[in-house]
Amino acid sequence: MAQVEKFSYDNAIVRKFAYASILFGAVGILVGLIAALQLVFPSLNLGIAEVTFGRIRPLHTNAAIFAFVGNGIFMGVYYSLQRLLKTRMFSKGLSEFHFWGWQAIILAAAITLPLGITSAKEYAELEWPIDIAIALVWVAFGINMFGTILKRREQHLYVAIWFYIATWVTVTVLHIGNNLELPVSLWKSYPVFAGVQDALIQWWYGHNAVAFFLTTPYLGLMYYFLPKAANRPVYSYKLSIIHFWALIFIYIWAGPHHLLYTSLPDWAQSLGTVFSIMLIAPSWGGMLNGLLTLRGAWDRVRQDPVLKFMVVAVTAYGMATFEGPMLSIKSVNAISHYTDWTIGHVHIGTLGWNGFLTFGILYWMLPRLFNTKLYSQKLANVHFWIGTLGILFYAIPLYWAGWTQSLMWKQFTPDGFLQYGNFLETVTQIIPMYALRALGGTLYVAGYFVMSYNLVKTVQAGSFIGDEAAEAPAASTWAAHTGKEHWHRWIERRPVQMLIAATIAILIGGMVEVFPMIMIDDQVPKIESVTPYTPLELEGRDIYIREGCLGCHSQMVRPFRSETERYGEYSKSGEYIYDRPFLWGSKRTGPDLHRVGGKYPHSWHYNHMEEPQTTSPGSIMPPYPWLLRDELSTKNTAAKIRALQKLGTPYPDRYDEIAVDDLQKQASIIAENLRKDGIDGDKLEEKEIIAVIAYLQRLGTDIKPAPQAGN
Amino acid sequence: MKNKTLKLIPAALPLLLLSTTSWGQAAADGAGGNPYFYDGLLSYGLLFLAAAVFIAALVALYNLLNIMVKVQQIRIYQEQGIEAFKEEVQKPQQSLFHRLYKRMTHVVPVEKEEDILFDHEYDGIRELDNVLPPWWVAMFYLSIAFAVVYYTYYHFTDAGPSSTEEYKMEMERAEKAVQAYLATQSSQVDETNAELLTDAQSLAAGKTIYEGKGTCFTCHGMQGEGGIGPNMTDPYWIHGGDIKDLFKTIKYGVPEKGMISWKDQLKPLEMEQVASYILSLQGTNPPNPKEPQGELYQQQVDNAAPADTSATGAAKKQEADAIGMQ
Repeated sequence: MAQVEKFSYDNAIVRKFAYASILFGAVGILVGLIAALQLVFPSLNLGIAEVTFGRIRPLHTNAAIFAFVGNGIFMGVYYSLQRLLKTRMFSKGLSEFHFWGWQAIILAAAITLPLGITSAKEYAELEWPIDIAIALVWVAFGINMFGTILKRREQHLYVAIWFYIATWVTVTVLHIGNNLELPVSLWKSYPVFAGVQDALIQWWYGHNAVAFFLTTPYLGLMYYFLPKAANRPVYSYKLSIIHFWALIFIYIWAGPHHLLYTSLPDWAQSLGTVFSIMLIAPSWGGMLNGLLTLRGAWDRVRQDPVLKFMVVAVTAYGMATFEGPMLSIKSVNAISHYTDWTIGHVHIGTLGWNGFLTFGILYWMLPRLFNTKLYSQKLANVHFWIGTLGILFYAIPLYWAGWTQSLMWKQFTPDGFLQYGNFLETVTQIIPMYALRALGGTLYVAGYFVMSYNLVKTVQAGSFIGDEAAEAPAASTWAAHTGKEHWHRWIERRPVQMLIAATIAILIGGMVEVFPMIMIDDQVPKIESVTPYTPLELEGRDIYIREGCLGCHSQMVRPFRSETERYGEYSKSGEYIYDRPFLWGSKRTGPDLHRVGGKYPHSWHYNHMEEPQTTSPGSIMPPYPWLLRDELSTKNTAAKIRALQKLGTPYPDRYDEIAVDDLQKQASIIAENLRKDGIDGDKLEEKEIIAVIAYLQRLGTDIKPAPQAGN
Repeated sequence: MKNKTLKLIPAALPLLLLSTTSWGQAAADGAGGNPYFYDGLLSYGLLFLAAAVFIAALVALYNLLNIMVKVQQIRIYQEQGIEAFKEEVQKPQQSLFHRLYKRMTHVVPVEKEEDILFDHEYDGIRELDNVLPPWWVAMFYLSIAFAVVYYTYYHFTDAGPSSTEEYKMEMERAEKAVQAYLATQSSQVDETNAELLTDAQSLAAGKTIYEGKGTCFTCHGMQGEGGIGPNMTDPYWIHGGDIKDLFKTIKYGVPEKGMISWKDQLKPLEMEQVASYILSLQGTNPPNPKEPQGELYQQQVDNAAPADTSATGAAKKQEADAIGMQ
């Protein structure tokens, strides 16, 4: 008889991550709800810079992705990994470091993002010191995971662990790749790549943050918790193998579908399109293996809230991963991109797939950690129905809004003019949809609190099992494999080879797309008239970044008649070579700004920032009175110039020494111009608004023909 | 024979789907009421028709097969007697859906899954050895084929247009459509040829629009004295005081200042009439006038081309000159 060893599972670390996920989930969706309400009632920011939409939007996305889902991943991984490998976690110290390190990062994010400290890259907004902390904690997690794998008592790695391994290595590569930046000061840096290259790398990262943070780890969790909760065998081992490798190989290529019809070269855009289409089957492989595992258990799905949540989660996953490829078809993207359709799409994924799977796992796992039963099945069912309704009320109005607005943008009169020449008309049209969306969000939040109550009651009723006793045959009893077996069993016994194979699979796509863009000069055709930003414009640009303007305004005029008629000449990649970071944006709640330079007088911008309603009645843009009040800091201007010079921006030698003088000169001219229009104030030329005006008036003018009368 | 036909159905369905996707693309290109929206409809209509004929042929084939089966049954009955016939006919028949489901998934029924259960288990989780669902495999291959064809079409050959070529084509199509439309509109008045109308009938029509559907009076006053908007009775104009300037201001509006565009609500002739009426108010000195705004404008017979009046154009140049680096 095999030698059986006794050991115990560490449940304490699982409980910690579970509590953190529940807590930060509440924070994340509440901030989201506030942001959603601000789109209906812009004055809800109460005039406070720190809680204005542009700043809390990244707070919401970061909280939802990295705090709620992130802690959810670690909760599920620490629970399932130990049990699938029949061993305790490798290192208590690393587990603790991982937990507290991650929470410290979340705290840092919660402080810095509202302060406007951001690198402006979606889902990678955190500045460089926090980026380094993330890398350290992530490596600690990796060592802890691999240490556990190496001391396992189970010879073969189950499919969930393949997904965990792929997740770990890919997030490592993505995080480092997208955060190559040169610090200017403790809380400011510029990215190494500029313009279109920066855009490609950002969306190689951004898309795969969805793929390898919101998808692959959750597929791993699904492969453990769904068969456990349903008590059914996994439908198809072969499907697991094929869809795993196909998914991680293909996913990494699809990033450019975020940049369709931008100035990214066509060959790269098309790669994004075709690889997205090829992703349908591998994604659906996961959905099928989940849903078909429930064969023979469907009668229980009707009763068991855990299974209900899981079924809706997996179905939402299937819907989102079909919709995504459809949105990657260029002609569909021409309609959907920059509209609320995208917002609806991602929330099917986060609210449905990530949210509901997390809820299912919590309802199943917490009672087991506390050796008790769920406090109330009835409340869990209530949560299920409010949550599902919430998702519907969230997504459907946004799909409607997206279509409506896009069609309005593109509508021409027969004599060749834009039917809705005033962008604002297309915004006020969809505000009722925003209100409905906020209702959907409220329902989802309400369900969340029902769950929190239910789980608190459950925890109170039970007694926690910190160290769960277990036993398994020792690793020394592993049999040698000589006979006939499935070919894939070979690599399941070899975690290191598995890691290497996964790394190769995920590197290929990124390299094929990124290297030519960086190495080959003529990928970005140079334009003679494009010059670096003046120091004042640069400071204005950094305020634009700080305020999160790019959350609502794109800077990319696509080559469509409806856009060139509305905004002006379509954008060229050569115009962005000094843009660090690129600020193309991904949503137009307000109009595109790439050709806004010279369109309005300085005084228009001044009045517009003070109170957008005066120049644009009905606008939902919040006022920015602090830009008129606060003085521009030029403390870092010289350092910024030096950093940009190091990165290749051709400022003249020793320009940093006179940069501030130049800045003041340009500021006084703008201030003088404002005074002519009757705008005056104490130290007008020293205010932040002057820099913002300088930047906005510069935008898109490098290749713009001289303004014509009446334009 | 029958097996082959059934295999055709899954193959044909994605084809159908493909045709709708490409139609979707055509529709998206033209979305927004562009006149060339319907260009592709004919060819896609034909494609749909072909698909319909194809499906009809399949159905006919299926019926034919059924008849052949019946004939076979009668033959069994004649040759082997009624007992053998009953035995043959009374074999349990599953529904079409069930048979299709089985064929598309090759799934092993739940009752027989012990046969394909792997020995290994992970924390109690077992795995089945079901094959890859054939429809899933077909979908995967099809998407790969799509990728190859798409990329070849757009990048390995010159067949597919680039984004910028697409844009040029779109602009040309639009230009043609607009010209075609304008050709059908008689006596087109626009900001280049608008003329000051002085006959009483036109001015009366202009007054009706000013006080009526034009709602001009809400901002500019019942007698043109101004209010939210500028005074129309003094010789000072912000956007030019020529009839052509007024026509243009009315037509396109000045949205950033609250003056909306009227081109979709007033016909060109109506805009000409209301502009002429407004100019007829010059010098009427109504009570409560708003202070003059803009520049003094001398009405000229022959209007010179407007100069660059953009404040920002000049300001930008000034700023650029002042800074050494540019």
